[in-house]
Amino acid sequence: MELTRTSPAGEPVAVIGCQGRLNMLAAPALRSFIEETLGEGHEKIVVELSGTSFIDSSGLAALIGGLKAARQSGGDLRIAAPSDQVRSVLRLTNLDRVLLPHAQVSDATDGW
Amino acid sequence: MRPTAGDYALEALAVPECLNLLHDLLEQVGTDHPELGSEDLSMFETAIIEIAGNVVEHGRPPGRVVFRFRLHVFDDRLVGVLVDSGEALDPTLRPGSMPEEMAESGRGLVLARVMLDEFDYRHTDAGNTWTMVRHRS
Repeated sequence: MELTRTSPAGEPVAVIGCQGRLNMLAAPALRSFIEETLGEGHEKIVVELSGTSFIDSSGLAALIGGLKAARQSGGDLRIAAPSDQVRSVLRLTNLDRVLLPHAQVSDATDGW
Repeated sequence: MRPTAGDYALEALAVPECLNLLHDLLEQVGTDHPELGSEDLSMFETAIIEIAGNVVEHGRPPGRVVFRFRLHVFDDRLVGVLVDSGEALDPTLRPGSMPEEMAESGRGLVLARVMLDEFDYRHTDAGNTWTMVRHRS
């Protein structure tokens, strides 16, 4: 998995891109990446999932951990552009209520 | 019923890296069987990864459990059987109900079960046997 980050200087919003499979091998890296992003003062995070071909329960746990950490920092974590597999897994675990899938990044940052 | 084409098999040490071997095997199944619905295949893949992930995480003794996985493509269903050499699964780790939204563990086997039409776990002389069946839509 490859992680990227776009975060305009001085802005609280950061967009994290995840390319590849978000499974047990990749989840710890995403957790650390979110922690670092929050540590640098970007407390509003969008995780862009269009390049995430697969997610499992470890990947979900990393997103939930990131959501909790972002909220503790006074911010939030939202997700955008999930693939069919990611969308199905979110629905079947009832996590689409706390990680509402936004169609694209601009929808996720709406209101921020 | 006979499989429509060859079966698939994989033997590996239950460590995190084995998951990518399983992903690759499923990718091969998709290439060999373009007629398989993408949702059937991706849901089946999710179930397999969750079950194998559970063996990686909870298999005893850690790092020394070996598993054998076989996958059969039938006209009407996908069948996977994973046999691991680990000790019997702790009953408290067997799937219950979906944990609350903010939980960070406990979803894996529950998720596997909802992805499948049949899911069976038993401990036998051969080891832990996990059987997974998904009917093709």
